[in-house]
Amino acid sequence: MKVDKRRDAPVSPFQPSTFNIQLFPLVGAAILVAFTLVSLPWKENLFRRPRTIFDRSAASAVAPGYALVAAAVPVIPAGATVVVRTEPRDPIAETYYHRFADALLPGRRALPASFYGRFAPPEVSRDAAYVLIVGAKPAEPPGRLLLETPEGTVWETPPRR
Amino acid sequence: MTGLLWLASLLLVGLSGLPLLLHRAFAGYPLSTRLVLAGASGAALVSFAMTAAVLLGIPWNVPGLVAAGAVLAAGLRLFLKPALVFAADAPRPPEPGESPRVLAAAALSLIAVGAALGATFAGAATSPDLLFFWGPKAQQFALARTFDAAFMRDEFHQHMHAYYPPLVTNLGAFASMVAGRMSWTGATLTFPLLLVFLAAGLPGALADRLGRAHAAAIAALTIAVISCLGVEADIAGNGEMPLLLFETLAIALLISEAAAEPPTQLIAGILLAGAAATKVEGLPFTISAAALFFLARPRASRPFWPAAGRLILPAAVMLSAWFAFGASRRIFFGYSGYGTLFDLHLDHARVVLAAVGRSLSAAGHALPWLVPLGCVLAALPLTRRWILPIGTAAILTAFFLFTYIHRPEDPSLWISWSAARIFSPVAMLLALAASLGSRGEPRPASP
Repeated sequence: MKVDKRRDAPVSPFQPSTFNIQLFPLVGAAILVAFTLVSLPWKENLFRRPRTIFDRSAASAVAPGYALVAAAVPVIPAGATVVVRTEPRDPIAETYYHRFADALLPGRRALPASFYGRFAPPEVSRDAAYVLIVGAKPAEPPGRLLLETPEGTVWETPPRR
Repeated sequence: MTGLLWLASLLLVGLSGLPLLLHRAFAGYPLSTRLVLAGASGAALVSFAMTAAVLLGIPWNVPGLVAAGAVLAAGLRLFLKPALVFAADAPRPPEPGESPRVLAAAALSLIAVGAALGATFAGAATSPDLLFFWGPKAQQFALARTFDAAFMRDEFHQHMHAYYPPLVTNLGAFASMVAGRMSWTGATLTFPLLLVFLAAGLPGALADRLGRAHAAAIAALTIAVISCLGVEADIAGNGEMPLLLFETLAIALLISEAAAEPPTQLIAGILLAGAAATKVEGLPFTISAAALFFLARPRASRPFWPAAGRLILPAAVMLSAWFAFGASRRIFFGYSGYGTLFDLHLDHARVVLAAVGRSLSAAGHALPWLVPLGCVLAALPLTRRWILPIGTAAILTAFFLFTYIHRPEDPSLWISWSAARIFSPVAMLLALAASLGSRGEPRPASP
């Protein structure tokens, strides 16, 4: 086995400036840890289990859409086509919720009501068998009501001829 | 329960790295560091095995993938000769007053990890990107037991960035196959989990040069930086934490005394490959770190070609396999840009700089960058090794600004939600550079 010659160099275990050099990172770490602790959402009852993984994040505005799409899993069968809309219509939120439907409803085909922040042409999602509406119940029901939650509603649309 | 199983399954990929890290060349590292290096190397090797299996038309199965990763690790082990073992050969005598400082540093790391865990559990650190593309691809690939080319080509899945490198989705698919389904909570918890691994492994990777107390202090600073950034910039569940794990360990090894040894260079190369296979910006990181290693450590990097091979070949092989898949299925032929390469929109320069400044300020008043920068300044003058972390940070910064200035449209919104995350490796590099002060060097520094 080779021997590391560098190890044979005399070791000066504690030079005068060593302590200060080690102190700075420790103080820096303490500052950052203190700041991180202070920035935790203590006022929002940190230890209460959140309803969704977004509840207290910077993206908390999308939490209702997440909750509704996740709640819809048992009522939407595999292979079905789905579209998520908002009430009132919001193309940016609908863009996000289309992505949530892709993520949370595996085995179903999510059609976009909006895409990249713009309303998609209505024919793109016209044939969706299920409609999820985040927000208020629509004045004109799109079909048979399957599920109602505080975040919105899930509908089965009548078969198209 | 599914979430726990999903997370625990990731430990299986660590088994794959054991054949390599059990080699006696690594006996000088503490057990915790050895296990963490095995886990990170195993993750990179299993991800490569998954990509290679797709190219060969073999459907994924969990035992086969773990075995394939272990076979790769055992194969790489054949390239290693018994090498010098620093800590085991000549244990360093403890410094006076070492234990309280090590304990204080460990306590700070622990609290930083606890804060990350608390924020993640509370739903206060989740990245939307988990739901937008990392998770859905992982879930779909787990169902298909391969890269689902039709899913990647779907016109409504453009936002899933088919060309993004495969490691995060591969490991997510691996965990989903073990757990039986995707766990979104489990995916978010990779942030504190990988942070605790880093906290356990980093001090040992730094200790051969710094001694236990200083290594623990630098590790605590690094963990605190990542924890703060992760909570402020919401990185739970996206590619940032795996990227930071690979990059931090790789740089820590490359600035250590052991970097002169081929086994350490090989592990650093596998970790850099892991970074390159995790996110697009992992590639410029890997190229800069490998190139600057030769500049920063001229003696440690001799002979040049074998050292270059150990540092670069793993990344070249892993990314070649990924691009071979994309090209063979006609899905992608390289990384997608935002315009013609040198078609820069310099009129956006002021907007870009202002937006980056705002974004970094919004992430904890820029403290995750300013605090380690202050520690670097306090450590001046630095040894020549500074070239590696500071140079890599400078090249990454230039790369990000170049990317932002590339976009024809006003990039302010894009910068507002991306800059704090993508600049996080710069903060980590500053934290590691704070260990490179030449005052109080316990022994003559070798470049």
